[in-house]
Amino acid sequence: MKLNLKQLSSEERTARLKAALDAGDRLGLITSIDGDQLIMLLLSPGKRSIDCYETPVAGGTYKSATAMVPQAHWFERTTWDMFGLVPEGHPRLKRTHLHEPYTLTSPPLSHERRKAIEKTIQPESGDRRHAGDRSYHFLGVEGQGVYEIPVGPIHAGIIEPGHFRFSCYGEIILNLEIRLGYVHRGIEKRLSEVPWQRGRFVAEAAASDMPVANSLAHATAVEYLLQIEVPRLALYLRSIALEIERIAMHLSDLGGLAGDIGFLAIASSMGRLRGVALRMGELLSGNRLMRGFICPGGVVSASMRVAEEIAQLARQLKQELKPVVAFYMDNQVAVDRMEGVGVVRSSLAREFGLVGVAARASGDRYDCRNYWNHGAYPNVDLEPANETSGDVFARAKVRISEIETSLKLLINFLDDLKEGSFLVSLPDRLEANSSSVAIVESHRGELIHFIHTDARGEIQRYCIKDASVNNWTALAIAVRNNVVADFPLCNKSFSLSYSGHDL
Amino acid sequence: MLRLLKYLINRGIVTNKAVPELLDDNITGFPKATDVPCVSECQACTESCPTGAIEITREKSIAIDRGACITCKECIRVCPSGTLINDTSVASFAFTREDLFRPAPAKAETGPDRSIFSKSLAVRVVSTGCSACDLELAAASNPIFDMERFGIHVVASPRFADALVVTGPVPKSMHEPLLSCYEAMSDPKLVIALGTCAISGGVHKNGYTEANGVGPLLPVDIFIPGCPPHPWQIIKGILAARRLNGRIRKEDQG
Repeated sequence: MKLNLKQLSSEERTARLKAALDAGDRLGLITSIDGDQLIMLLLSPGKRSIDCYETPVAGGTYKSATAMVPQAHWFERTTWDMFGLVPEGHPRLKRTHLHEPYTLTSPPLSHERRKAIEKTIQPESGDRRHAGDRSYHFLGVEGQGVYEIPVGPIHAGIIEPGHFRFSCYGEIILNLEIRLGYVHRGIEKRLSEVPWQRGRFVAEAAASDMPVANSLAHATAVEYLLQIEVPRLALYLRSIALEIERIAMHLSDLGGLAGDIGFLAIASSMGRLRGVALRMGELLSGNRLMRGFICPGGVVSASMRVAEEIAQLARQLKQELKPVVAFYMDNQVAVDRMEGVGVVRSSLAREFGLVGVAARASGDRYDCRNYWNHGAYPNVDLEPANETSGDVFARAKVRISEIETSLKLLINFLDDLKEGSFLVSLPDRLEANSSSVAIVESHRGELIHFIHTDARGEIQRYCIKDASVNNWTALAIAVRNNVVADFPLCNKSFSLSYSGHDL
Repeated sequence: MLRLLKYLINRGIVTNKAVPELLDDNITGFPKATDVPCVSECQACTESCPTGAIEITREKSIAIDRGACITCKECIRVCPSGTLINDTSVASFAFTREDLFRPAPAKAETGPDRSIFSKSLAVRVVSTGCSACDLELAAASNPIFDMERFGIHVVASPRFADALVVTGPVPKSMHEPLLSCYEAMSDPKLVIALGTCAISGGVHKNGYTEANGVGPLLPVDIFIPGCPPHPWQIIKGILAARRLNGRIRKEDQG
């Protein structure tokens, strides 16, 4: 939706954030536009309203909110890395994106004036605010018999890069520190450089196991700034694409989970069923991952002819899924392996603002499809998945239940398609000096795209908050006091995106 | 357990028999220029391309760089004369960067197929990008495509690997890990650039993260373009390694 930036003084900021969270609201994101201010999005799902606060930052430092509101910790670290704004009092201030090899003398997203200030701080002075200081120190755990296992950034299989540092006592994980940022490609900066008409190709590349969610969020955010209405057929096709993506990725994750247990019959059956889901996407868009399908103004192509074929495949998938799920969930060995492993308590889920599957497995019922406008939502009747035990098993059950819901939605959407236009022509310019935000329920959870335009109507700041940003911390907490061998299982059960976080 | 076996047997074999020459018609492949003359002075395709992969040369012919193309189909959509068409060739790989400027052959050349790697290739995958190529590479190992039957194995250490498959544009933080992975592989070895980002940086090139692909860092032996390539294109490309003998570091020679 379009946003009105409300001014908030730096003294009030933390208190306002704390009060909002206590009242059941959610922290959307904390970032900056050009390094002169902090932007804070507070979401009220119940009221379907979003408050956007702007706090001026003088002298490049502000008071950290992390001690009061733990879920702010990652946002504050990122804002330091990308804008050079120092959160005073942050308990573990470390770089998130720009590692030692970067020789940048100024933060990449701040404006020229701030860059000039950065340059006056000498690296030798030991002032950690200097952009040249890129040192990173892992949290050390000491004591007799405690040892470290470093893993990554390159992993054993076909997985994205990231570094895990386990501190262990025997087989037990005492602490896990996750270092990300290896696939930071500068997507946000690139999105403010390219003409907005071409932004969708960059947005899609943010995390390509969710190109539909990213292109949908991009298109929705841009459309608010163009003030156009998207035809009904396009909205429905967008939702169809998003549900197909969710089904395909949940199947893939369930297969991966089965593979990590060693239940290969289920892993390969899930792989086969995912093929059916990808076939639906291919029929819809000509691309297995549905890249390039959604664009501002609608979708690039629409064929009513394939709708029946996709519905047929969806019904087939629904039938074929039943026995596979039964074999999986009725197998006592498999269930034993998943139960009680990698538990996230519901109080922690709330404190760290978890979203998506991880939140719904820990008792939170937040599903963006019920609250925020994207595709054909929120005007559909949707019962969110809900489990309370917060373990690997709960996350597997949430995925299964969401596949079933998605198949039902998909068939309903396909039955409800009506001929019509699927693309409207677009104005040349975005509205100047404006901000908009789009919130999409990707298969991982809440995905936020935030756009701010300058006086000429060019994109000045494009910010993407993937669900993984909230949930990586949950993985680090969930594996504590579990054995090292259960880490792959925990990791897969969260199924987080490295590229979506790193951008 | 017996019920599970019975279920699996009743499903039958889902694996496709052979690698096809062409993908299904509805799949978006690379643009290909036909003989149909362009509308005069038309620049619609070059203007529509988000990565500058299309150029109209002085001789008025259309040069398409498949190594930069992200298969978004925009050029085909805007082409008023129908000169550009969708090319679904599976053999879209190339052995040199220059070959990616030529259209993919309709039928793959069948080379001698006798290299030092014979019919088995162990590949190590280093992912440095958005994971689309990783997903398709993982799909190439699923029961439908099953690349292991052709002798391609994904291995868990560079020490076992014959070929290094790199996906993604290799941003700055991955330069060092990638080079040390290459260093850890024993000779002779191959480098395969999988996907448009790994070949040219794609939509990320020339940014502050220096994500310009594998080329500036390592010698590439096989280029498999696409965004992401189809699993068949990946399998076909990796199988082409059977025609290469791999590189040996200079200091070890003689």
